[in-house]
Amino acid sequence: MKVEGVLHGERTVYSVSAFNRGVSIFLRRLPTVWIEGEVTELRRNPAWANVFLTLKDPVTAATLGVTIPRRAFDRLELGLDEGETVHVAGRAELYEARGALGLRATTIERVGLGGHLLALEQLKRRLAAEGLFEPGRKRPLPRVPRAVGILTGADAAARGDLVTTIGRRFPAAKVVVCETRVQGRGAPQAIVAALGRLGEHPEIDVVVLARGGGSFEDLLPFSDEAVVRAVAASRVPVVSAVGHEQDTPLCDLAADERAPTPTAAGALVVPDARELGAAVEACRRRLELAVRALVTRDEARLARLRDRLRGAPQLLLERRRGALDHAGARLQALSPLATLGRGYAIVRAEGVAVREASAVAPGERLEIELSVGALGARVEDVHA
Amino acid sequence: MSEPAPERSFEELQRELEDVVARLERGDVAVDDAIALFRRGEELYRACVERLRSAELRIEELTPPGPDA
Repeated sequence: MKVEGVLHGERTVYSVSAFNRGVSIFLRRLPTVWIEGEVTELRRNPAWANVFLTLKDPVTAATLGVTIPRRAFDRLELGLDEGETVHVAGRAELYEARGALGLRATTIERVGLGGHLLALEQLKRRLAAEGLFEPGRKRPLPRVPRAVGILTGADAAARGDLVTTIGRRFPAAKVVVCETRVQGRGAPQAIVAALGRLGEHPEIDVVVLARGGGSFEDLLPFSDEAVVRAVAASRVPVVSAVGHEQDTPLCDLAADERAPTPTAAGALVVPDARELGAAVEACRRRLELAVRALVTRDEARLARLRDRLRGAPQLLLERRRGALDHAGARLQALSPLATLGRGYAIVRAEGVAVREASAVAPGERLEIELSVGALGARVEDVHA
Repeated sequence: MSEPAPERSFEELQRELEDVVARLERGDVAVDDAIALFRRGEELYRACVERLRSAELRIEELTPPGPDA
């Protein structure tokens, strides 16, 4: 492409557009470079083909306008915020309509993992000082949850491993899955909101954070202060199965249990149904044995009672008979017949016992009863 | 199948079953009470077994709230 000037006597004069064009062409010879700066203005509009941002030099406050194709920017899923330090790869570019120099970017990387690590370490220390990671805060997991809440991203593997393990160990389980954004911009808020949703579910007794491995950056939302606090404040115990074993996002420290993998988390949150079944069967056997023992004991008690009951009338009879014999003896002692036996006699006149001589007159007939037999007699004399 | 209380967790049912067994094993219960306890124990046992038996894993999806939803 050629930039044409117009001759004015000895000068060649260029139009503004031509100049810009020329510079623009010249700039294209510059190589792609990496530039570090702080993001100060970030404008993304779904209707625009490009995303605009301004990079600022933190030392001199010099600025540089950056454009990046919107689709390329979205693919990066950076969740970039103003004030963050980034590395931008791009080439110088002139915006010809305004003669403005800018950078045409192809990719952006967040820098300062070091900075992140430092911030993370500070946050960790602060939350630890608050006691958020205290072992005393950890709650025991329910042995048999009514439902298991699962918070997961669009991460088929983590979710699949967890659900399969739960289903295999405890087929009667219920799982409630809340799929949400777990990385990139807005992920912390989404995770907090999802935790809230799961916490409101009436049947959920335990929640698992299931997130497979990822880069340090990918796992950052699980170290976000709001997320860590939400995990610590959860109504139900939380099992953290985030990243791989070597990763320790802060939510691991705030969670009630930590599982190295989603499969391990599955084994933590539900019991083995076969073991549980055996325990219940054992309980039933004990129930039967206990009742049988009770019945046997009561039967023995009843038998003893029955024996005593049967023995009772006999005893009563014997006692009565004794009393009767005694009464008989006393009766015997009082009987006049016994007196007669000793030689006494009863004298009756007209059936009435005669106690005084004056009660009869001479010539009157008397009946004399002896111990054996009786006599008829007449009165000869009366000595009153 | 009559469940003692549908809201109660398996753990609660199992704990009550163990309590019932323990009380019967202690033996200081009257015959009538023992029979009532035994019936209760059987009921709890069946409820526990039923909980373990439900065949299929039930999966419920919750739609997440929030700005990105």
